[in-house]
Amino acid sequence: MTIAEEEIRTGSPPPPADAPKEPVGRGRLVLDKIDKTFPGTQMAAVRQLSLTCEPGEFVVVVGPSGCGKSTLLNVAAGMLKPEGGRVLLDGRPINGPGPDRAVVFQDHGLFPWLTAGQNIEFGLKMSGMGKEQRRHRVEEALRMVHLSQSGRKLVHELSGGMRQRVAIARSLVMNPSVLLMDEPFAALDAQTRTLMHAQLQDLWVQTRKTILFVTHSVGEAVRLADRIIVLHAHPGRIRAEIAIELPHPRNFDSREIGELVHRVRREIEDEVNRVNAQMAEYWKPQTPDDLGGHLVDMGGGI
Amino acid sequence: MIWAVILLTWEGAYRVIGWKAYQFPAPSHVLDSTLDMLNVRAYFGQPLHRGWPWRAKNQLPDERPRSPIYRSPLVIAQLVSGTRLVVGFSISILIGGMLGLLMWRWRGVDEFFGPLFLGMQTLPSVCWIPLAILTFGINESGILFVLVMGSCFAIAIALRDGLRTIPPVYQKAGLMLGAGGWRLYRYVLLPASLPAMTSSLRQGFSFAWRSLMGAELIFMVWNRGLGFLLHVGREFSDISQVIAVMAMMVIVGMIVDRWFFAALEKRVHARFGLQAAR
Ligand SMILES: Nc1ncnc2c1ncn2[C@@H]1O[C@H](COP(=O)(O)OP(=O)(O)OP(=O)(O)O)[C@@H](O)[C@H]1O
Ligand SMILES: [Mg+2]
Repeated sequence: MTIAEEEIRTGSPPPPADAPKEPVGRGRLVLDKIDKTFPGTQMAAVRQLSLTCEPGEFVVVVGPSGCGKSTLLNVAAGMLKPEGGRVLLDGRPINGPGPDRAVVFQDHGLFPWLTAGQNIEFGLKMSGMGKEQRRHRVEEALRMVHLSQSGRKLVHELSGGMRQRVAIARSLVMNPSVLLMDEPFAALDAQTRTLMHAQLQDLWVQTRKTILFVTHSVGEAVRLADRIIVLHAHPGRIRAEIAIELPHPRNFDSREIGELVHRVRREIEDEVNRVNAQMAEYWKPQTPDDLGGHLVDMGGGI
Repeated sequence: MIWAVILLTWEGAYRVIGWKAYQFPAPSHVLDSTLDMLNVRAYFGQPLHRGWPWRAKNQLPDERPRSPIYRSPLVIAQLVSGTRLVVGFSISILIGGMLGLLMWRWRGVDEFFGPLFLGMQTLPSVCWIPLAILTFGINESGILFVLVMGSCFAIAIALRDGLRTIPPVYQKAGLMLGAGGWRLYRYVLLPASLPAMTSSLRQGFSFAWRSLMGAELIFMVWNRGLGFLLHVGREFSDISQVIAVMAMMVIVGMIVDRWFFAALEKRVHARFGLQAAR
């Protein structure tokens, strides 16, 4: 099993100069030779996986379903304990979940008994911040995700996109070092998702958080990432790394982007075919090609 | 409305056919009996005559003094049973809640107690009475014991099942936002379990009420509860009173369920955006 390492440099200039940058050095997330096998399973979900996210970097992880993307993210969040390896944030080892590594869950994970505003306030309250200051920060956070009017709404009164924005605000208001996002927009329709991409990019340019983002969708990855990590399944490890040095926000119709999407997609296709071929060795239901054919899209639209 | 029609038909049939009141009473007899237990004399059940319904036919007005309504047997019975219910149910909530929480939190506890409690839940609560009499004697504690035993297992099981339906993502989100230790319980798991709790309380209440009535009926001493009135009715072969008390039990149970527990459940469900509770 060889791991293809490739680097593609396209376009030129770095992010716009007017983007305010946080002092570099905060938010360096290091995953060092992580091993994770779930009890009762034989195949490691993640094996000897090392990944470093530099401060302010936007890293997107893609890969076939079940390849260990969520596992990787949960390990980084401290929700799962790996059997081997270390997770370091700015040099300090991580032992459990905490507000310095805010997570945005796929199904938002907002508390339904609280309003949107109270959800955003929750973490601040837990940190012991005073009431006046909390109110101020919540208002600011609501403005940041364009929801100033909806702070008093209950979670079930919000649309899917609004819920994800509240979830993002809830994470950002804690001023975390790293933002971990597990397919945060997977449940949204295409239009809302495009809108959310634009808003997330704005937020990222404004705050310069380190972001580790997991997705199925190659389009999403190419649109958002500084660096794309393609995972290899069974066991999960890094198959390829692709750096993208196009300026943000990105024009989705450009030729370079089209080429990149094609390139990443081919990488994943190969991986899917490899996995299917492996499966076919066990069961031989059809030829690997037949199987691969309809899985090529990788659920990009999911 | 439909009930009014049924009651009127029943009353009408009674008057036309002429059933015996001691075999099966008409609604008017039950009404008389209810009023009598409230220290109010009424004779709705008699044929129309001069002075109906407040004076008996061909009799001088009964001038013997009666104690005021608030000291009538029915009012006292309601107060006594109500107090027992509040006290017993509170104990039951404490014990049942604790057991449910333990069973949810530790697998071993659940594996050991779960099947046992499920079995005990199917045991009719009156079956606890002999044990209660032998252990506690014929007194308040005995009655409360039956009530608690009759309802706490139902509460425990319902709470455990409800807690299990809390999506794990709430716990993760709470930890991620810095709610560790007791604060996870207080600010995340407790509110997240509200829908489960309200329905477990509602179910627990119906068990508690049934157990209490059974216990009061069978603890055949001067215990003054609603169940005791039923027992008195039987002793005196006063079928109207028997039916009046039974109706009272149903009404109280229904009112508490509808106006208290169902209303509570509805509010919680509205907050959580769940389907309207029925
Ligand atoms: N709790 C668990 N117990 C046992 N095995 C698990 C558990 N969670 C994940 N796995 C296994 O670990 C592997 C990686 O799972 P993971 O959820 O990380 O995949 P994923 O890349 O996030 O997939 P998807 O894109 O479908 O979300 C899978 O083979 C899965 O079956
Ligand atoms: Mg996943």
